[in-house]
Amino acid sequence: MASRDFVYKKFSEFYSNPSTVTPQLSMIGQRELGFLLFKERVMVRHKSFESMSSLKRFLSETVPSDVYHSCAYYENPEAEMSKKGWLGADLVFDIDADHIPTPCDKVHDEWTCTNSKCGFSGKGITPEACPICGGQKFETKTWACELCLEAAREETAKLIDILEKDFGFSHQEMRVFFSGHRGYHVQIEKDAVKTLDAMARKEIVDYVSGIGLSILEDEAKGKTQKRRRSTPFHLHNFGWHKRLKLGLQSFIMRATKDDLKNVGIKGNYAAFLENREVLLKRCIEENRWDSVRGIGVGTWRKLAKYVQSLEAAKIDTVVTTDIHRLIRMSGTLHGKTGLLKVEFPAKSLEDFDPLREAVAFKEGTARVSVSEAPEFRLGDNTLGPYKNQVVELPTAAAVLLICKGRAEVAQ
Amino acid sequence: METGRFTQTDLAKYPFLKETAKLVKQLGLKIEEVANPDMAVILNRAEERVREAILSISVGKKREANVEIPSFPVALMLVIATKNSFIKRRYALAEAKQAFSDMQAESSEKILAIARDFDWNIELNRDFAVPLEFAVSFADYLRNTTHLRDKKWKLVNRLLANGKVYLNKQDVTRLLQEEVQRRIEKRLEATELPALPEKIVEIATRLLELAKESIGQEEMEGFPKVVTQSAFPPCIVALYEAASKGRHLSHIGRFTLTSFLVNIGMSPEKVAELFKSFSDYNERLTRYQIEHIAGERGSRTRYTPPQCVTLQTHGVCVNPDALCRRVRHPLTYYKRKQRQFSSSLPKAS
Ligand code: SF4
Ligand SMILES: [Zn+2]
Ligand SMILES: [Zn+2]
Repeated sequence: MASRDFVYKKFSEFYSNPSTVTPQLSMIGQRELGFLLFKERVMVRHKSFESMSSLKRFLSETVPSDVYHSCAYYENPEAEMSKKGWLGADLVFDIDADHIPTPCDKVHDEWTCTNSKCGFSGKGITPEACPICGGQKFETKTWACELCLEAAREETAKLIDILEKDFGFSHQEMRVFFSGHRGYHVQIEKDAVKTLDAMARKEIVDYVSGIGLSILEDEAKGKTQKRRRSTPFHLHNFGWHKRLKLGLQSFIMRATKDDLKNVGIKGNYAAFLENREVLLKRCIEENRWDSVRGIGVGTWRKLAKYVQSLEAAKIDTVVTTDIHRLIRMSGTLHGKTGLLKVEFPAKSLEDFDPLREAVAFKEGTARVSVSEAPEFRLGDNTLGPYKNQVVELPTAAAVLLICKGRAEVAQ
Repeated sequence: METGRFTQTDLAKYPFLKETAKLVKQLGLKIEEVANPDMAVILNRAEERVREAILSISVGKKREANVEIPSFPVALMLVIATKNSFIKRRYALAEAKQAFSDMQAESSEKILAIARDFDWNIELNRDFAVPLEFAVSFADYLRNTTHLRDKKWKLVNRLLANGKVYLNKQDVTRLLQEEVQRRIEKRLEATELPALPEKIVEIATRLLELAKESIGQEEMEGFPKVVTQSAFPPCIVALYEAASKGRHLSHIGRFTLTSFLVNIGMSPEKVAELFKSFSDYNERLTRYQIEHIAGERGSRTRYTPPQCVTLQTHGVCVNPDALCRRVRHPLTYYKRKQRQFSSSLPKAS
C-alpha cells in the first residue's frame, strides 16, 4: 500500500505542476476522454472537456493513473455510444513489442493463465489461448528492454516508410509518439482520412501488413498442371512489388545455404549461391523469373513470401480498424511505467531515445526493496540487475520498478 | 472547384450529375403537372426506366434530351412511391450500370469531370513509367472498393504511390458506377413523401405488381427469412458455438459472425441475444454495433462478412470442407448449401 501511495504522490505532484503537465490533444471538445482511476482501479469513460485548462484542472484533482482519448470525433462525446454521433476518426497505428517476437521476450516476459483450476505459465509472447485449458485471460509480467524498444522502432520505421512513399503522407502529417511503455503510436489527422470507415481502414491495415498480395498466392490453386506452371510472376516498380523486389535483392546478396533452408527451399542451393549476379540481373532487373535453370517461379514465390514478412510493418491490426478506439493521451503518464507518452518528429525516429525523453520524474531518489530486476537504463543511469535487495534509486527508476511490480518502497 | 462543362447530351446521359439537378430545377417541374397530358411522354419514359430496371437491370432506350433529362427525377419519384427497397436498389443499380457502359466511350477529360462531380481527388497520370491513365486518391479508391469482392480490388494489389492509386479507364468507371449507385440510393431514401398525384401512385402500384410477378416475392426480400442453421459454413458454426457458450471472440470473429447473421436475415435483436452470455456484454453497445453493421446506423452501408482469404489470414477459417473449396465467401457457401437442401427436400404439400 505504501508503494501505491508513493506512486500516487508522484503522479499527483506531476499533474499539479503546470510546468510538467502538458497534455496535447487537438479538437478536445469533440473527443471522448477516459481515465483509469488510481485508487479504485476502474475506468471512467464518456467524459468530455471544453478546454485544455479544464482538463488540467481535472487531472490535478483526480490524478488518474492513465489518460485516454478517442481517436474519434463526436457530436456528443459524453452521450452513450449509440447517441454520440460519430463524425470521423484519426487514422491510428499502434506498434507494440507485445506483438513482435524478439530474441529477449523469452528472457523477460512471462504469462500465467488466470483460470484458477489451471495456472499454467510460460515465457515469451502471451498466447491467444492457454495451451492447457484454452482460457484467454492471463496475468503478464513484461519488461521494456532496449532490444524490444529497438524492434518496435524498426517496425515503426517500416510503417512510416510505407505511409510516406505509398500513401503520400508527409512527415508533418504523421504524428509519431513513444507510448510510454513498449511501443510507438502513429496518428494521422488529415481530413481525407477522417471519414474512412472500418472496412477502408482494414484495407489500409492489409496494405501495411502485405496481406492478400495476389502475386504470393499459392500456385497450387491453379486447377490444372498447365495453368499452375504458367501462373506468371511479374513485379513492377511500385508499391509492394517494389518492396518485394528490393527485399529479394538484398536476400540474394546475403543468403547462405542455411538461409535458403530456413525459407524452405530444397535441393537447388548451388543454382542459387553460384548465380547471384545472374539472378539479380536477369530475374530481378529484367523480370525474367524463369531464366535460371533450377530456380522456377515456385521458388521465387516462396522467397517473395518470406520477404513479404520481413517488409511488412507489424502493427496491432485491431487498433487501426476500431473507429471508436481510446488511445493514450500524449503528455500524460503511463500507469505501468511512470513514463510519459511523448511526441517527436517522424524524421528523428532514428535518434530518438525513449528511455531519456519519456522520463517524467527527474528529481530526487527513493529507497526501494527490489525483488527482481534485470539491468536497465533510464536517461544516463544504467541500473541493476537487482535481486532481493534494498537500493536507493533515482525517482523515475523507483516508480518504474514499483509500477512493474518488481519493487516496494523500503520501510 | 472545377467541375468541367457538360453539354445537354451529357446531362441526358448522366442525369444524376449535380448540374442536371440544377437544370431540372430551372425547368420548374411540378409534380402536379406530371399528371398533365402534355407531360405524358416524360411520364412514359420515366415508367420505362423503372420497368426496364426491374425486368433486366437496364434503363431502356435513350430519348431526346428534353425528355430524357426530366424523366430521371420523375422516375425517382415513381420508385420512392413504390416504397419497396428491392425496387430502390434495383433501380439505382440499373442507372449505375448504364452510366458505366456509357462512360466507356467518353474522353478522359469527360471522365475526370464526372469524377469531380463526386468530389473525387483525381487527375490524369503524367508519369510515363506507369502505363495507366488515371491517378486517384487512395481515400476515394477505398470508399468505392471495400465491398467489392474480387481480390484484384484489394489496395495491396494496386499500384499505390504518393497517395494515388493508378487506374485505367475501365477501373475508374467501375468505381464511378459505385458512386452513381450510392448517390441514387441516397436520393431514394426520402421517407417523407409529398402528397403524390393519383397518376403517380397508380403507376407505382403497377410497377410493384410487375416486380412481384417477375422476381418473386421471396427473392425480392433478399435472403429467405428462415435461417437455416445447418447450412452455416464451418467457420460460422465455430463462431456461433463459441458465442453461445460465452467464449471470447476476437474483434474480427465478432464482426464476421454479426455481419453473417445480419446478412442472412437475422434481426439485430436476435443477434444481440446471442452475445448476451459474454462477460463484457453491454447491451446498448452491442446493439449499437450490430445496427451499425446492419447498416441501420452510421455510414448506412450494410457490411458483409470478410472473404474467406481474409478469414484464413486471421485464423477464423476452421475445418473448411469440400464445399469451402468451391467458394470464396461464407455467404456464398450458405446460399449454395441452402439451395442444395431445398432441391433435395421432398416437395410435399
Ligand atoms: S473456407 Fe470460407 S466458408 Fe469455409 S470455413 Fe473457411 S472461411 Fe468459412
Ligand atoms: Zn490455462
Ligand atoms: Zn526485450
